Amino acid sequence: MKRLLIFLILLLPIAAMAQSELYKHYASRKNLAVAQVNGFKLNDAVRVDVVLVVADNEAAWNQLKVELDIRGDEGVNSWLGELKQPAKRTRWNGKTVLRVIASHARRTVGFYRLNTEEQYDALLDYQLEKMKK
Amino acid sequence: MTENEFDKLWQQAEAEGYGQRLVAEYPGWRRKQRRTIGMVTASLAVAVLLVLVLVAQMHQPQNFEKVYCNRVGTTDAQWASLAAEILTE
Repeated sequence: MKRLLIFLILLLPIAAMAQSELYKHYASRKNLAVAQVNGFKLNDAVRVDVVLVVADNEAAWNQLKVELDIRGDEGVNSWLGELKQPAKRTRWNGKTVLRVIASHARRTVGFYRLNTEEQYDALLDYQLEKMKK
Repeated sequence: MTENEFDKLWQQAEAEGYGQRLVAEYPGWRRKQRRTIGMVTASLAVAVLLVLVLVAQMHQPQNFEKVYCNRVGTTDAQWASLAAEILTE
């Protein structure tokens, strides 16, 4: 039984390692509900990791908007952000980037981690396919 | 008495028909028995847990692998659904 406990305790740091820096950055903050969805399926062959940040109230949302330089009050803002600085707009350059989508109505920001061109293309295809329906 | 010495003595006693007496008179036997039962129980529990996790994963056609969350109240499936919805908003 002692060995089982030691085994389970050893698993804890492994679980913590699976959480991204982005998740950890927001998860400890008040007024924000944060989730990391690992392996979100875009199609049969491609998955991405997603961090979702939901502001509890208008004040928390406004703070997020300032931090991420989100302008406007309606619809959705979308851009490619740098991995370490999601607020910094960038272009696809073959390196890991974040597709950031901010929904004003839901007071939610989604960070889709794109490591490969395949993921980048699959995300665009997913959006197009779903919007057609 | 070391465990090896005990095992030898135990085998000898069994061969001579004194096994039950040894069980009654040697307290270390009980400890050894409890330890063995504990290890077997733990191994079985881990095996059952692994089988349950595998079966659960095989029977749920999920569109995500794992969800970490800083709060309770929202299910993993709801988070995955939100990830899908804001992509197409």
